[in-house]
Amino acid sequence: MSARSDPITVGAVAYHPRIVTIWERFRSYFAEAGVPTDYLLYSNYERLIDAVLAGEVEIGWNTNTAFVALERRLGREARILGMRDVDAAYATVIVTRRGEAFDDPRELAGRRLALGSRDSGHAAILPLHHLGREGLDAAADCALVRFDTDLGKHGDTGDSELRVVQAVAEGGADAGALGDATWAAFRAAGLPATHGLEVAWRSPVYSHCNFTALPGLDAALAERWTAALLAMDRDDPPLREAMDLEGVRRWLPGDRAGYADLFAAVAAQERAEAAT
Amino acid sequence: MSGGGAGAADAREPAAGPARRLDAEQLELGGGLEVLLQAALAGMAPGEQVDVVTRSRAVALELPGWARLEGHAAGDPRRVERPGRDGAAAAATGGRAPSGPPPPERDRGRWAVRLRRGPGDRVAVAADATDTRSPDRRRPPAPGDARPSGAAVPSAGSQQRGALAPPLRDGGRFHTADWRDGGLAPPVPEEAGRTAGLAPLGALPEPGAPAFDWPLHRREQLWAADVAELAEQATAEQWDATADVPWATAAELPEPLDRAVAQVMTFIAQNEYAALYVPAAFLPQVHPAFPEALQWLAGHVHDEARHVEVFTKRALLCRTPGHALAATELSLRTLLDERDFTNAALLLNVLGEGTFLDLLRFVERHAPDPATAAAARLAHRDERRHVHFGVSHVRRALAGDPDRRAALVAAAEQRAAKLTELTGLSPLLTEGLTILAAGSLRPAALSDGAAAVRGLTATMEENRLRRLRAAGFDAATARRLSELHTPNLM
Repeated sequence: MSARSDPITVGAVAYHPRIVTIWERFRSYFAEAGVPTDYLLYSNYERLIDAVLAGEVEIGWNTNTAFVALERRLGREARILGMRDVDAAYATVIVTRRGEAFDDPRELAGRRLALGSRDSGHAAILPLHHLGREGLDAAADCALVRFDTDLGKHGDTGDSELRVVQAVAEGGADAGALGDATWAAFRAAGLPATHGLEVAWRSPVYSHCNFTALPGLDAALAERWTAALLAMDRDDPPLREAMDLEGVRRWLPGDRAGYADLFAAVAAQERAEAAT
Repeated sequence: MSGGGAGAADAREPAAGPARRLDAEQLELGGGLEVLLQAALAGMAPGEQVDVVTRSRAVALELPGWARLEGHAAGDPRRVERPGRDGAAAAATGGRAPSGPPPPERDRGRWAVRLRRGPGDRVAVAADATDTRSPDRRRPPAPGDARPSGAAVPSAGSQQRGALAPPLRDGGRFHTADWRDGGLAPPVPEEAGRTAGLAPLGALPEPGAPAFDWPLHRREQLWAADVAELAEQATAEQWDATADVPWATAAELPEPLDRAVAQVMTFIAQNEYAALYVPAAFLPQVHPAFPEALQWLAGHVHDEARHVEVFTKRALLCRTPGHALAATELSLRTLLDERDFTNAALLLNVLGEGTFLDLLRFVERHAPDPATAAAARLAHRDERRHVHFGVSHVRRALAGDPDRRAALVAAAEQRAAKLTELTGLSPLLTEGLTILAAGSLRPAALSDGAAAVRGLTATMEENRLRRLRAAGFDAATARRLSELHTPNLM
């Protein structure tokens, strides 16, 4: 067992002021759990990846895109310490106006497809990848309507997905891709733009965010940290608000298998860019 | 820790095996389906599974995202029934009128999505209904929760009152006290969590609400045995200062009666302001777990606001304005300075309003017009309740704490020390009361009027002592407190 007394440091991206509320609460929790943890906030995921690789922070709270970028730069497997329940079995959906859904994604050829920020795994990279697997080279065959807002935040703010939904609702695009959890949240919030839309397609599932550490992180410490993370209880009033703000009901162990598609998608994207 | 753990796999995919079936028919998310789903999931234990069957592919594609956000696992949508062999549509699509054009092939037949209920309840419930802040007083687990059980309060899911017949009194009257007495609502707490929120009686408070700070959070601080009944009575006896007084009878009194009425009415209204502000200041200090006390104080405040209104209106109908006397202000100011609820109950309810009972009765008896008499009579009815509460509360406080007597006497002494400049009832008020009782300036009548005022003073003294004794003070302390009472009456 590690006998460290100084806090373990977690890096996160400050995509919203609530991140401070969340991590202040988590910081207290980890201290009480006997695994003192402090946090550093970064303005974008590229800086966070740099910080993890440089050892400035020991754990990065990464999007799937950031995780893949980190491992590709690292050149070997990083250590996944955990993820939210909502990150498991994540999917991308494509919405259309009601009554204009398609049976086969290839029907989108020649149509306008709205995508979220180009660095968002769920709203841009993975939909292109999975549509390709189903026979649609959307980058070539569709008119892409991209909403590259909040670049560097990897879609965390939801702003680009909101624009996707509004574009489809208002006729600026014929179909639009966004995260299934984002769509569900828009629905739950009663967003008027959702009223006239329907889900026409759903991607295979993948994993989204995770806590990533370099392989050299002390294994015992990593296990203690993960154990404390997984022990967070949403029924604990001081934690409930922070967990709700983070969008997690319970924490789960990480699952490497859930990132294979994104690795493939990023590699293919690189090859395509190199070819042009 | 890299690699898929059992927990992650659990969350991803519901397992094969038994599952309930929920027919969503044509319902859509955002169109009522979530209500049906939540109702079904609320009746399931964590880990139980349900196959949600829908006629819309769009709904099936959307369901897993919804489920995950709600903390449940979801499988991939699968088609479970295709259109009939004869080619006829098996069902209309969600959201489309059945009489419209035939739905596309994808929306014929049925789709299913398997959900596995996640752990935890949608809304947490504090174990102590009067304390939603303390982290060690969380609700116990719901049936099927992974958390160990042991606490006494049932969870939200299982907490049902069942079919209840309200304990009605004659005329169908429903009193909160009867609900409490019958065990249908929690008993009045001896102490409520000081930082708890605004949970109505019998409600299930969710932990994690913002912290409040209720100075009056212990029953002993504010309770009276009959406060619930007094509050009910106050509601039943409301009256209208605009319509319930025969204002037409108030016009054109001859001098000196007009001037006397103006002064007496002004004095009473001035005092009623203090009687209004004192309970009003305590009102936001009272913990929500004591709704009867809140209702009582709110009624008290309303009563006094009406008294200010009715006596002000009567004074306005006089040709000569009355004087809002500085000495009266001094006395009332010391009353408003009192921060302790029980001390204030003694000084305002028992001593002040108690003394005013006799004053109001005097005004009613000697009023020169029906409007003045009605105002005094109606206000007297309210003040009786207020005095009753004060006596009842102080008696309870004295019985529960032997040291309380000294504190109450000290409060009266402290107030009296600030009022050394007051030597007696204001001459203007004494003259006004004398003229009211005399009815004119005729010497013989004035003599009778002065005697009546002397009699009033004696009656006040006698009744003050009686009330103090009823409140639980011994004879000597009652005498001492009566002597300390302000010459201003209130």
